[in-house]
Amino acid sequence: MPEQPDDDGAIAATGMGGAMDLATSEGETLEKTRGGPEGAGPQEKPRSLWSDAWRDLRRNPVFIISGLIILFLVFISLWPSAIASGSPLKCDLAKAQQGSQPGHPFGFNGQGCDVYTRTVYGARTSVTVGVCATLGVALLGSVLGGLAGFFGGASDSVLSRITDIFFAIPVVLGGLVLLSVVTNNSIWPVIGFMVLLGWPQISRIARGSVITVKQNDFVQAARALGASNSRMLLRHIAPNAVAPVIVVATIALGTYIALEATLSYLGVGLKPPSVSWGIDISAASPYIRNAPHALLWPSGALAITVLAFIMLGDAVRDALDPKLR
Amino acid sequence: MLLEVRDLHVEFRTRDGVAKAVNGVNYSVDAGETLAVLGESGSGKSVTAQTVMGILDMPPGRITAGEILFQGKDLLKLKEEERRKIRGAEMAMIFQDALSSLNPVLSVGDQLGEMFTVHRGMSKKDARAKAVELMDHVRIPAAKERVKQYPHQFSGGMRQRIMIAMALALEPALIIADEPTTALDVTVQAQVMDLLAELQREYNMGLILITHDLGVVADVADRIAVMYAGRIVESAPVHDIYKAPAHPYTRGLLDSIPRLDQKGQELYAIKGLPPSLMHIPKGCAFHPRCPMAQDVCRTDEPPLYEVTPSDGERGSACHFWRECLHG
Repeated sequence: MPEQPDDDGAIAATGMGGAMDLATSEGETLEKTRGGPEGAGPQEKPRSLWSDAWRDLRRNPVFIISGLIILFLVFISLWPSAIASGSPLKCDLAKAQQGSQPGHPFGFNGQGCDVYTRTVYGARTSVTVGVCATLGVALLGSVLGGLAGFFGGASDSVLSRITDIFFAIPVVLGGLVLLSVVTNNSIWPVIGFMVLLGWPQISRIARGSVITVKQNDFVQAARALGASNSRMLLRHIAPNAVAPVIVVATIALGTYIALEATLSYLGVGLKPPSVSWGIDISAASPYIRNAPHALLWPSGALAITVLAFIMLGDAVRDALDPKLR
Repeated sequence: MLLEVRDLHVEFRTRDGVAKAVNGVNYSVDAGETLAVLGESGSGKSVTAQTVMGILDMPPGRITAGEILFQGKDLLKLKEEERRKIRGAEMAMIFQDALSSLNPVLSVGDQLGEMFTVHRGMSKKDARAKAVELMDHVRIPAAKERVKQYPHQFSGGMRQRIMIAMALALEPALIIADEPTTALDVTVQAQVMDLLAELQREYNMGLILITHDLGVVADVADRIAVMYAGRIVESAPVHDIYKAPAHPYTRGLLDSIPRLDQKGQELYAIKGLPPSLMHIPKGCAFHPRCPMAQDVCRTDEPPLYEVTPSDGERGSACHFWRECLHG
């Protein structure tokens, strides 16, 4: 009989004698497996999905590059004064549209504000809006989508129709209409708007993911061993269904940053004196021929930031679901 | 009697119509007894088991009639919360594919321990110790080291042992094993079956073994119930069936086992296909495939006739069970 590709050597060896004398050899095998080192099995380290994914990520250059950019962005959002000493609101009209000079590497914009300082401070707005909108969207979307997917039936149908309605609203047009009536000049209406329009995307993913996981045998098995609904959902389904949500949310984070810039550019997002890349791009665009640097730096920062989050999302997806690669 | 299923009817409402999956099943299991439920895919054996466990998806499933008496209580009259407490503690189920029956993101120790934390309110540490003890009991080598590992790090046979350990954790009175060895290598199959039979004796549990493998059944079962199109067509002590089947379908199943002395000959197969559960034939559901079918089979549904002589209770749902038994 050929050697069996079983990783438990001693147990596999029981089968060597053929099925007939199993009953008699079982006892001896038992002695051997308990006592001898050959029955100890492979001394592999426990490997969970997350530790596997982390190991993949650490080796992925895309993850390392995007991760470093994002770490840097988070750092300057928290402590912008660490690398930019001036105030983004201190402007000197006499210096308007001047180019690079000592102490002011990116030059000055149309209002005579320092472009470098404003670009650094703009990161805070972008990262805050992106992170808060993504957290809100992910939380609302996965809870609603997850529950709909788990319980199915009428609530699921209602939720699916609601998501369809939200999908039909054009984001920019919706922003122009809804945000133009808001007078509050903070970042919260913008975040609220993004959550309002963004949650159906995550909810749809979470719903599909929960439905897929729900059909797995281990959910049925957990039920057969007496697990309650909440236990099945939180302990057995959610950890297995969360990966696609994380991936889409990471990529969406980049698009929310771009959307904030778009809305601010159009004048319905953040308004001065807030500091935002979108506002600066908007203000600089009429003077692109006289002072291209004032447009270039905030646009470049925006593009790199969005790209970094999308790259991170890609890397995370590759690590969490190798089948999609 | 530990478990008694009486006249159970289950149907599924689908867009294309009503599929009658279980049509009046009766069976019973006593403590320490093994009942093998045999049948092809779609014969209703798994649906019956899921209904007994209370894990049938409803909708689309619907129990239209019947009683399930477990330790004297009708399970179908209990509230979901009461049934949930019975599951795992009083009755447990082992599934076909142990890899997909274990949660891939939790270590096996966590999953085994969960039985104790959820049902018995044990601390995590005590539950972990119990998990190691259980893994030892189902003969997983180096249980102490492997308790932290994840399901994909175990071989097929080892995973099924873990499933068995989970089912046995709270020492239930009844275990339902739904094709527990189908996904395993032949050599490992025998070990897992032996282990299951041994543990059953140890705990004096009732065991319902759902299978389509007659080879597995012969060694471990006390009684056999053969299902076809949602009904029990033959029910008998195991030796009676192997000696002489009293239903042409059972005979067909036995004749289609490959045997060494038939080498080179064509293997027997029951002609035709199992009926669609939406259009079960009138009369005896097996008549379109039956070599012994007569006119009466096309019109009259046979009751479960008592078959004699027998070592115990024996029944066959065939008008011509005598001819079958002696033919």
